[in-house]
Amino acid sequence: MSKWYGYYRPDGQVGARNYLLILSATIYANSVVERVANTIEGAIPITHHLGRCQTKSDLKMTFDVLCGMAKNPNVGGVVIVDHFREELCNIDDMAHEISKSGKPVETVNIRAAGGAINATTEAIRKAMYLARELSTYKREEADMSQFLFGLNCGTSDTTSGIASNPALGLCSDRIIREGGRSILAEFPELMGAEPWLTSRAVNKEVADKIEKMIKEYEERILATGEDIRGSQPTGDNIAGGLSTIEEKSLGGAKKSGSAPIQDVVFYAETPGKEPGVYLMYTPGHGSESITGIAAAGAQVLVFSTGGGHTIANPIMPTIKITGNKKSWEKMQDTVDLDLSGILEGTLTLEEAGDLIYNEVREVLSGKLTKSEILKERTGFAIHRIGLSI
Amino acid sequence: MKKIAYVVDPKDNVATIISDEVKEGMKIPVEVDGAKLEIEVRADIPYGHKIAIRPIKKGETIWKYGLSIGRATEDIEVGDHVHVHNIEPLRGRGDLAKKQKEGICCE
Repeated sequence: MSKWYGYYRPDGQVGARNYLLILSATIYANSVVERVANTIEGAIPITHHLGRCQTKSDLKMTFDVLCGMAKNPNVGGVVIVDHFREELCNIDDMAHEISKSGKPVETVNIRAAGGAINATTEAIRKAMYLARELSTYKREEADMSQFLFGLNCGTSDTTSGIASNPALGLCSDRIIREGGRSILAEFPELMGAEPWLTSRAVNKEVADKIEKMIKEYEERILATGEDIRGSQPTGDNIAGGLSTIEEKSLGGAKKSGSAPIQDVVFYAETPGKEPGVYLMYTPGHGSESITGIAAAGAQVLVFSTGGGHTIANPIMPTIKITGNKKSWEKMQDTVDLDLSGILEGTLTLEEAGDLIYNEVREVLSGKLTKSEILKERTGFAIHRIGLSI
Repeated sequence: MKKIAYVVDPKDNVATIISDEVKEGMKIPVEVDGAKLEIEVRADIPYGHKIAIRPIKKGETIWKYGLSIGRATEDIEVGDHVHVHNIEPLRGRGDLAKKQKEGICCE
């Protein structure tokens, strides 16, 4: 049984990182958040354009995602900044929710502080003392049952479905055998893969839920009256040889291996405790999808990419893998693992699965991904359904 | 030996090209469920794109991974390039749903 080393949190979860999060509650706090994060060593800024004038269900989703990012075990402490008083996305409601994790939370209100300069000063000071405290935390031994593994893919080509995704599936199976859990997301990109997914559901209720929720996503697309072609597969997918959404879905679903599927959860919802695969109802949009996975508490994500990709979540280390030799050669500054040997005939799928597994274990224990070193943080975007009001 | 074309499931009627060298007129080996076929290529096919390994009639299902990835929009011969010009998805098609609703289309 493989061990890894992480930061234990007051609620028993274990983090792969020990980040200080500077969290914007609403769009109008973004600049203060950026100034604070630029000043404080190791602080991670989370900014976005939402948090007000949203429909209630969307506002709740924004709140859940922001609090979920703060509650992710990779975060050790949080400074939240808001600008006046929003519904839900305000420092009081957010601090109340995040405090349930037991981790330290500080708050700054820009209006109460007397404007942007004073708020920046107040937040920097609070962040500095929190950073001092976090710097004393030490890594301790953990096992795979304390790991929630994120699975995603993007800029997929046909090598994704026949090489890197099946290898990732074997890695996911191994983690689940050792007591861990995986999240498979991107519901519109599961259309056509229902027979595989339902056959692995732990019971009929879960199988029916899988069918129902993929159909629901499809019906939402149909309700637009539009032809999905032009949006899915995307232009880069088509260049890489993918012809239809069904082909993309079948290749994409391979990431989840052959382990039992335990349940379907909503966007950013934390899965249950049983080892296995959990499906998360997210769009295919990569940044929105991996944000839902990070907000659910996943510590590390593997992103399988045919063409190469710059995506990486700000708080969930994002390991990128490719099975396409040309993409590795072009994008090796941002892609972490070359699995092109699978199609070259020099690497078996099992060996590739073990390579990914070992990389995941090392990253869980502190090895930096290329995207972390480069501060690539493009993988944060909050999903929304309704209008701005 | 390095494969030129990769067939995922014995049921499939397409293979994925995993070579940069596949040009019109070439003959390439394709292994389906242990049986070795030789297929004459009818177009230049880029890396990662698909080739038909069985004749497919207009309207028939295209099989990959042993499951449907859509249907043929024209007759496809063995050795043809199979891509967005001759195959269409059947899922998430608001345009088809709309036509059906208005009674314009069949299916």
